[in-house]
Amino acid sequence: MESSSNLLEKVLTDLKKVGGIEAAAIASRDGILLKSIMPMEQYAETFAAMSATMLGAAETAVTELDKGIPDRVIVESEHGKLITIGAGPKALLVVLTTQNAGLGLILLEVEKASKQVKEIL
Amino acid sequence: MVNSMLETGIPRLDEYLSGGIPEGKTLIYLNHPGVEGDVFGMQTLYHCLTTGNNCIYIASSLHPKMLIDQFSEFGWAMDKYKDRLNVIDAYSSLVGDISSEKYIVPDPEDINSITEVIDQVIKDVPKGSVFVFSSLSTIMDLCGEENTINAVRSWNKSAKTNKIVNVYNFTAWPYTESTLAQIKTDLFNCVINVGGIAQQVIYGQYFGVAKADWLKLQEKSMLFRVLRPGGIKIYLPKILVTGPFNAGKSTFVHSLSTRAVSVDRKGTTIALDHGHIDYKGFSADIFGTPGQDRFDPIIKMISGEAMGVFLVVDSTNPENFNRAQQMLEITTGYGLPYVIIANKQDMPDAISIDDIRTRLNLPEEIPVVSTVATEKRGVFEAFEMLVERITGGI
Repeated sequence: MESSSNLLEKVLTDLKKVGGIEAAAIASRDGILLKSIMPMEQYAETFAAMSATMLGAAETAVTELDKGIPDRVIVESEHGKLITIGAGPKALLVVLTTQNAGLGLILLEVEKASKQVKEIL
Repeated sequence: MVNSMLETGIPRLDEYLSGGIPEGKTLIYLNHPGVEGDVFGMQTLYHCLTTGNNCIYIASSLHPKMLIDQFSEFGWAMDKYKDRLNVIDAYSSLVGDISSEKYIVPDPEDINSITEVIDQVIKDVPKGSVFVFSSLSTIMDLCGEENTINAVRSWNKSAKTNKIVNVYNFTAWPYTESTLAQIKTDLFNCVINVGGIAQQVIYGQYFGVAKADWLKLQEKSMLFRVLRPGGIKIYLPKILVTGPFNAGKSTFVHSLSTRAVSVDRKGTTIALDHGHIDYKGFSADIFGTPGQDRFDPIIKMISGEAMGVFLVVDSTNPENFNRAQQMLEITTGYGLPYVIIANKQDMPDAISIDDIRTRLNLPEEIPVVSTVATEKRGVFEAFEMLVERITGGI
């Protein structure tokens, strides 16, 4: 049990090594923070809750329109990008990038990490 | 006869133990590897000092200076209590270090050497003193399992005769079955389990009373967090705030929280409010839902794994009570504890608490708390009541 917590931490540490990734967190689908690597730890809970709501709202919106389940939610803003992706039925993964980060490699790594998280849980 | 009880200083634990540890009894914090269990012994030591007890700290895992330094991480100033704190140094001789403590174990690898010093200290300190062992597992690693168990037996016996309380920190490394079994069953008067959980997907740490031979035991475990500074706090990962449109849910979340954020448009919550509160030994995350029924999918989504619910109603608007009942059904489908917040009680047309109780058709044991969220009136009382219902006070 304790070891899976360590495993989740490792997934995040590995993810953080990817160029352009500033912060990463794993949360339950209903918004409880499980693990995070963030410069501002005190906001991690809020970050997790909001990301879960965002992904959930996106899934509800798209599924209602018969377009299947969304792969991910990407928020693009002036100072960076926020990527939220489901990681199995229980959890989700959120990543915050730097301003000029290219999405190609990051999306690939995020996808990989989300699969690892799914397996751990 | 009721002896004076020694408080552990761990939130809720003293209530579970009906007041604390009686004189002459012994308690062990049985920590699973990987959890922050050592803090329990430290917090108990510090609490006992603040409540005017004489304490003895047996330093076996690190140099006493470093062990005492660790307390400052939690904001616990040990300097103030110097005259009531004695340290037994069962470490320095091991590494050939200089010790400035009055009591030094000459050979920490010999259990008799430790016992001799303890016996000496017992003679020097007043009755009712508290012995806290920083780490029984390190003593066990140095002196052998059987020797240590036998020694603990004699230490506990002299605790009984000298009306002393022994508190041990112990990490349950893979020792032999029989060692662990003795520790869990007959060696101590009280065993507190400190472990980690992966229930659902919450990765948390919990503690629970596994044994306490002076009372009838209630099965109860509590999630906790270790704050620096602050020490051990009961952790409630999710408390839900729900209720009809315009009842004051967001205001309630904000007035309760140490810090909070909302996703809203024109004053109406469209996604959720999120707040965090640190209050009287409790640390909780508060999730506020939207009120309008078009957001019901979101309410269902974020209400998973909640530990308790605040239902906020507008006391001036009884027409909305049907909706309130409906929301209660959505969120407490699994029989969660809840408290009704009768908000806007300062308005002239607010209906009475009794009236609200009748109209919502509430069972008698459900508290209805009168609040004015805009002025923070009643919100902390409500929080205490819900926490009480969640953690099941005695």
